[in-house]
Amino acid sequence: MTIPAATLEPTPELQRARFAASRRLCVSGREVVRAATLANGMRVVVWPVRNIPNVALYNWVRAGSRNEAPGATGLAHFFEHMMFNGTSRHPPGEFDRLMEAQGGANNAFTSDDVTVYQDWFPAGSLELVLELESDRVARLAFTPAVIESERGVVASERRLRVEDNNHGLLAEQVQATAFLAHPYRFPTIGWPADISSWRMEDLQEFYRTYYAPNNLTLALAGDVDPEQAIALARRYFEPIPAQAPPPPVRAVEPEQLCERRVLIRRKAQTPLLQYAYKAPRASDPRAPAVSLLLSALVEGDASRLHRSLVEDRQVAIEVSGHWQEGFDPGLLWLSLILPEGADPDEAREALDTELAAVAADGVTEAELERARNLATVGLWRRLATIDGKAQLLGEYEVFHGDWSKLFDAPVRIAEVSGEDLRAVAGEILNDRHRTVGVLVPSEEPTETARRATRASTGA
Amino acid sequence: MTVRVPEHERLSLGNGAALILVPRRDVPLVAFNAVLRGGGLADPASRPGVASLVAGLLEKGSGERNAYAFADVVEGAGGNFGAVADPEAITVRGQFLARDQQLMMELLADALLRPALDGEELEDLAARHIELIKAAKDSDPAELIGTYGRAFLFADHPYGRPVFGSEASLAATDREDVLRYYDGHFGADRLILVLAGDIDADLLARMAAESFSRWPQTSTAAPTLARPQALAGRRVLLVDFPGSAQTYFWIGNVGVEKRYPRRAALDLVNTLFGGRFTSLLNTELRIKSGLSYGARSSFARGSVPGEFSLRSFAQTENTGRALDLALHTLERLRREGVTGEMLTSARGYMLGQYPLGLETATDWAAMLAEIELYRLGRGYIDDYPAQLAAVGVAEAQAVIEEAFPPADSVAIVAIGDAARIRGPLGEYGPVSQMALTDPEFSRL
Repeated sequence: MTIPAATLEPTPELQRARFAASRRLCVSGREVVRAATLANGMRVVVWPVRNIPNVALYNWVRAGSRNEAPGATGLAHFFEHMMFNGTSRHPPGEFDRLMEAQGGANNAFTSDDVTVYQDWFPAGSLELVLELESDRVARLAFTPAVIESERGVVASERRLRVEDNNHGLLAEQVQATAFLAHPYRFPTIGWPADISSWRMEDLQEFYRTYYAPNNLTLALAGDVDPEQAIALARRYFEPIPAQAPPPPVRAVEPEQLCERRVLIRRKAQTPLLQYAYKAPRASDPRAPAVSLLLSALVEGDASRLHRSLVEDRQVAIEVSGHWQEGFDPGLLWLSLILPEGADPDEAREALDTELAAVAADGVTEAELERARNLATVGLWRRLATIDGKAQLLGEYEVFHGDWSKLFDAPVRIAEVSGEDLRAVAGEILNDRHRTVGVLVPSEEPTETARRATRASTGA
Repeated sequence: MTVRVPEHERLSLGNGAALILVPRRDVPLVAFNAVLRGGGLADPASRPGVASLVAGLLEKGSGERNAYAFADVVEGAGGNFGAVADPEAITVRGQFLARDQQLMMELLADALLRPALDGEELEDLAARHIELIKAAKDSDPAELIGTYGRAFLFADHPYGRPVFGSEASLAATDREDVLRYYDGHFGADRLILVLAGDIDADLLARMAAESFSRWPQTSTAAPTLARPQALAGRRVLLVDFPGSAQTYFWIGNVGVEKRYPRRAALDLVNTLFGGRFTSLLNTELRIKSGLSYGARSSFARGSVPGEFSLRSFAQTENTGRALDLALHTLERLRREGVTGEMLTSARGYMLGQYPLGLETATDWAAMLAEIELYRLGRGYIDDYPAQLAAVGVAEAQAVIEEAFPPADSVAIVAIGDAARIRGPLGEYGPVSQMALTDPEFSRL
């Protein structure tokens, strides 16, 4: 079929009115979500969605590198690996073999705060997946040969992400320097010596403490009947006894009194510059303003820092940022890649000028509106998949204490005012509260550079 | 419930442009996917990266807007807009709030029909792309290994060219190259436009017709490709990354094309060999030996056969052990094939997983454009479950012989510390060596 070229009547106002309905401030679906607390304290949240015949499952464990101690860092992440390696009921390998044969795939990730297990599977495999997930919480096997083999896998992952990766290497040093008292200073993957020296009793103790049902939140989204899913969760998880609540993390990071600096000289072509500012926890009421501040600074080609540093002054080739939204006050990161041969001081001056302006004056109304719109589209994009829905339910339940807050997220984005954003900018973007990391190319042999690099001084 | 191609409308604009409309109302977003046949294979042989730079310049000023104004209006609306080149097409993608769909269409028309292709923007973009390659070499060399692998395997065939460009070719590209590409390869006969999501189909069809039905056709036929020659025997490229903790390796040879008739069997066998966690490769290199964080295999399938490749990595001193395991596993697949039981498991996996990639309006925009670009037909989706069900051991065996290379006929690329691995690599075939900092991806 061929359609003729028609003359279009430009009626943008009418079009806008026509799509006003799509400027929804509430996410729909709240009324179909079901949540339950099992007798052992485990939380289950289910969102039925019938776009595709599949289900996404997120099992949130409140254990991350935040819960570790010197000499045994990386344990939470090591469990992310060990949880796939066999139980007293299912020998090593069977978890994946059974799940994959029934159409499921899985993964997991670990952060400073949580370890999260993910499964994506066809609706008919729900019971198998819940059986497998509960089994590894109840009956993990600790087989010495398997543990040794998995140490090697984690060491390989560390080489990939840290030793052979300049970003990872610098960020690890910056994070370790930014915190004095709080365990957020530990790298989630663990220090190399710790990876090779965890003991059996460390593992068993960590498992007993943190892989307890009362420390878990299960979120499901997809082609499920919520009542049936909750009934199956009860059948498989409720027999697992609750444990004493994990010891609270009592460490409180003292106020940072001066800027700290890390300088790494290393074989490289492009220098790196990272700023890590102390920032609020995820549940802080200012959280939406912090997110929008970060977006106004680094999200997209029109963002303040990209335009100024990459386009106008060309002192950087890439600008990015990240807020570690955790249980405790964490870090807001700004990360720059500089062109070969660039002077990091020049990039620092340019960055400092921009940040000082935002700390003093906030951002323009247009920048705020852009950040709000980007956040809204970003939220809808995540809500377009069962994976995004399950993850969001879990994030809100675990970090904000209530899954239902997700459904008001667009309202909270819309409510952030220019003054809110200016206030958080003024508070966070404070030189004394930051750690600055610089990686500059060096022709020295890498090993020497690695040993000699960490320098940390007060400003 | 199974996944089938959703209701959609396919229109022809009369000048060769195809327009596909896919309404979907789960979230208040609209998306477009505009595919322009051509891509890297239309680059001059000596200047890979031109198509990629043209793609990058589409959002750097068009119509009445300069680059800043364009970014301001896209991101101000919360939208995104970007273009990338692959070997056979430039794909422009974007997503906006449904309320902004008229704006989205105006921006797309400006970018495709009225790009400024400004000389200063080109210089800045090329300079930035060069630095981004250097940055990737510093922090994620494994990300580039496929580019080295294709250059080494395909040599002079267009699939061997780095679509993103090399540091050297990007530095040599000038505005004439960009204008020549645009004049030769942008036109209605090359365009497939898919609009998906919470769309007003009538409005967007009218806007698309208004914008694109008078767009002239290109003066040249879309470039075509010769079938690449498979490599006989083995050869090794060592990319020196002094001081690296690990060796990152890639093993490949010419595989099969997009329209390969035994696609379901291919997907099942590759799932078993290197496509999922319990695959033969990952079992050997990760699960049983603890040598590596992971090992995978895949097929790049274009209008002619692209590459089969497997990739993994291991600590520098274990380079030989890991390579041996990878090659032995490939040989074992060729020798022993797969069993009916293995196929049953892979079939369960594929049937369970493929709907997850066909969930959103953007998923369908990309899939319908691909079906149109490679003339795959809706059976590519709708018949897939039945095709998976029909694969038996004999067909799997045929696929193994046709698509998976013997372990003694492969190109091997290793990025690692040459001082420590050059010797061991000599065991696998004649070794060519280049530096990771070399501004080219090939020294053939």
